[in-house]
Amino acid sequence: MGIVIANIIAIYRRELQSYFVSPLAYGIASTFWFLSGLFFVMILLGPEGILVTVSSYDLQGQQLGVPAPAIDVPYEFVRAFLDRMGWLMLFILPILSMGLYAEERKRGTLELLATSPIANWAVAVGKLLGVLTFFLTMFLPLIALEAIAISSSNPPISPIIPLLGHLGLLLLAAAILSLGMFISSLTDSTILAAVLTFALVILLLFIDLIAKVIPGSIGEAISHLSLLKHYNTLIQGIFDTSGLILFASYIILGIFLTAQSIDALRFQRQ
Amino acid sequence: MIEVEHLSKIYGSTTAITDVTFSVEPGEILGFLGPNGAGKTTTMRILAGYLPASSGTAKIAGYDVHDHSLLVRQRIGYLPETPPLYPEMTVEGFLHFVARIKGVSSGDRSTKVTAAINRCNLEDKRRVIIRKLSKGYRQRVGIAQAIVHDPPAIILDEPTVGLDPRQIIEVRNLIKSLAGTHTIILSTHILPEVSMTCSRVAIINRGQIVATNTPENLMTQLTGGAGYELEIGGETALAKQMLQNISGVSSVELMPNHQQLLENHTCLRVILQPGIDPGKEITAALIRAEFDLYEMRRINATLEDVFLELTTAEKNSPTEITSEIAEGEIV
Repeated sequence: MGIVIANIIAIYRRELQSYFVSPLAYGIASTFWFLSGLFFVMILLGPEGILVTVSSYDLQGQQLGVPAPAIDVPYEFVRAFLDRMGWLMLFILPILSMGLYAEERKRGTLELLATSPIANWAVAVGKLLGVLTFFLTMFLPLIALEAIAISSSNPPISPIIPLLGHLGLLLLAAAILSLGMFISSLTDSTILAAVLTFALVILLLFIDLIAKVIPGSIGEAISHLSLLKHYNTLIQGIFDTSGLILFASYIILGIFLTAQSIDALRFQRQ
Repeated sequence: MIEVEHLSKIYGSTTAITDVTFSVEPGEILGFLGPNGAGKTTTMRILAGYLPASSGTAKIAGYDVHDHSLLVRQRIGYLPETPPLYPEMTVEGFLHFVARIKGVSSGDRSTKVTAAINRCNLEDKRRVIIRKLSKGYRQRVGIAQAIVHDPPAIILDEPTVGLDPRQIIEVRNLIKSLAGTHTIILSTHILPEVSMTCSRVAIINRGQIVATNTPENLMTQLTGGAGYELEIGGETALAKQMLQNISGVSSVELMPNHQQLLENHTCLRVILQPGIDPGKEITAALIRAEFDLYEMRRINATLEDVFLELTTAEKNSPTEITSEIAEGEIV
């Protein structure tokens, strides 16, 4: 077991290292920072932002002499922001996951990994942890921004709500990256991997729309596969075990399928 | 150390290798020789556990490569056709990474990485990023990753491809220095490589082993040894007749005139019986009969001749060739 963990750490470190020297990773990070920063400012201070909306409610209330509707500003802000982040993930994560295996296959280093005394799933776990750590590093500055905004709210927001919301974001990211890793293990073209992952993620985000058309319990069952549905529950601050189980299942499924596909590819390779 | 029995690999409808059988004794270097597309890489990949065989067994250090894949993988070093390198890492960082995934304990890691760097003459490139290395250096890093964990068996797929002549000599010496303590199997399509580095050769063609022997034995047994090339002036038919009667000469053939010889000059190739050298008799006979002798050159049968003979004759009569070799076979 100790050896397996040492192997996972070795793969993890190498994977993480490769992001910090990759121009592509920096490109993704700066795009992500630009867009998420833009969302942050728009949601908070923009013309249709939460502060403007609330103050206009207040003004209306004063003019009409009725009390303005009570709005929990920090809560609404965190929810709206994480909602936008969920959408942004859809575009950013397939680009992060596309190279996980496709790049290894293209360079021939998969042959090194496959002939080393290390299990396929351990490689997959190490890689997933690596890319997830890079994603977290990318997200860290935004948490600082949120912390500044939320800390000035009065009365203070219950920490459990943003905590659950960010856990949701982390799980959503891990699920998408894990499935993206599997798709990346099927091809040696990074572009193809990104496009296919994008398609799959869109399908999993909108599957509850499809499910609505299908009547009965089948439709309901399908709607539970939706990533966005469970993500929305979590960012509303509602703790829902079925959502956690779904995300965990996607993560484990991604790792399992990756390990299987590496084994299967070895059977077919020309 | 390495035992391969009746190994076959079929990709869909094409057969890559058929009934490949050979073995490598501990400490030996076996050269796996064959033209491009003969099935060398497929065999290497099966041995390294990267591909499963369709049928047959391969064992390394007593463990089946398929059934005990993990145990085998702990005991081999493998250099694939293209060296598996991470271009963004430094040479040292990469070798540390490989040592880690090969299960070298943290205490030994630095010593083993340094030893591999020294063995492959990579001291000056230690901290250089692999992307910036030339092809020759990359190949050396590839070899270093195969030996860094000091495995008992080393599988090298075309280890000298892309190297300049100086580097080729260095790599050959490196491989030779590994023999004895390591069992090595290396594939190549370059003939001199085999005669210089390997203690035994397996020749593979179109997926089948056509010969297994020491390089020397192959050379003497198959082409019947050495001979002379003569450039003479005079009646060719007469000269041919006369030379054939000298004892020790096994055959005389007229060489095609591709050297643009002067008018009246012809070139003859005299093939000798093994162990006999009637050079003196040949010159004496030619002079006695008043032929003009312009050139007399000794020719040695090379592994190249053997190889060509085996791989081209194979197309016509595979059974004939294999039976001929069977006598000299060690396996």
